[in-house]
Amino acid sequence: MTNSIGIPAQAHGVIALTASACTSCMICVRECPAWCIELESHDEEVTEPGARRPRTVSVLDAFTIDFGLCMYCGICVDLCPFDALAWQPDFDYAAGSPSGLVQGINELESWGKSRE
Amino acid sequence: MGSGNTLDLVNPCPPGYQPSSPRTYVVAADPSLRVQILDIGLACCSLEVGSAITTGLLVDSATVPSPDHGTTILLISGTVTDALAPAVLRAWEQVPEPKAAVSFGACANTGGPYWDAPSVTKGVDQLVPVSVYIPGCPPRPEALIAGLRQLRDEITVN
Ligand code: SF4
Ligand code: SF4
Ligand code: SF4
Repeated sequence: MTNSIGIPAQAHGVIALTASACTSCMICVRECPAWCIELESHDEEVTEPGARRPRTVSVLDAFTIDFGLCMYCGICVDLCPFDALAWQPDFDYAAGSPSGLVQGINELESWGKSRE
Repeated sequence: MGSGNTLDLVNPCPPGYQPSSPRTYVVAADPSLRVQILDIGLACCSLEVGSAITTGLLVDSATVPSPDHGTTILLISGTVTDALAPAVLRAWEQVPEPKAAVSFGACANTGGPYWDAPSVTKGVDQLVPVSVYIPGCPPRPEALIAGLRQLRDEITVN
């Protein structure tokens, strides 16, 4: 089956992030064999009335994948316990410099959106 | 080892192999784009470049009318080792002006999976000025065409 960009819908073109699903657990960062994922987060305390103690939640500040280094192995996609990472078939993101292949939350969240 | 003092395993390439003479193709959908492919079969990425040819995305320049002027693109794909770097440099020097270099795949872009390997060139831009870096390990053949078009658009704008 092909999609609107004419290649198989399941093609491993690029990795998309759903930032709201990411818990900053760092599993993808630690398991990536190319060490090309970077993540920054901080903890916040959420206080709820009547709760025993404040709850600690991680807030994602930055998430980048360096597609200049990525070997498209999919280990990050497979290991993410929260399905925050997914393959998208997009292939058209060549850059004029290697740093242009480093993509942050905004770009990673945009993949696949235009076809939804 | 051969007889006497000669070593047989000097050249691993098959007879007749010409690593310093790139072949010229044009983009089927856009014959003004001429690409010279440095076919030294460096690594896995060359299969995707081959696939761009066998699926007709790239066609032999001898078979289609294509303007002689315009930029000639040297496409470098695969894992360039420091031992092979002089061949890449020689190929670049032989491409006629005006010319541009396109890097295809993680290995050529940055060293990719071999980022920490001492013998691998950490991006072919250490050897030649690269205009467009096409991501992937390997990139799809369609990504090659998209990258070439992106380069053409930049050349047209400038
Ligand atoms: S696909 Fe593999 S190399 Fe790329 S970011 Fe995921 S784990 Fe790392
Ligand atoms: S494995 Fe998933 S949830 Fe954990 S940091 Fe990576 S993307 Fe976020
Ligand atoms: S970028 Fe990946 S597919 Fe291409 S030559 Fe390197 S290891 Fe092989």
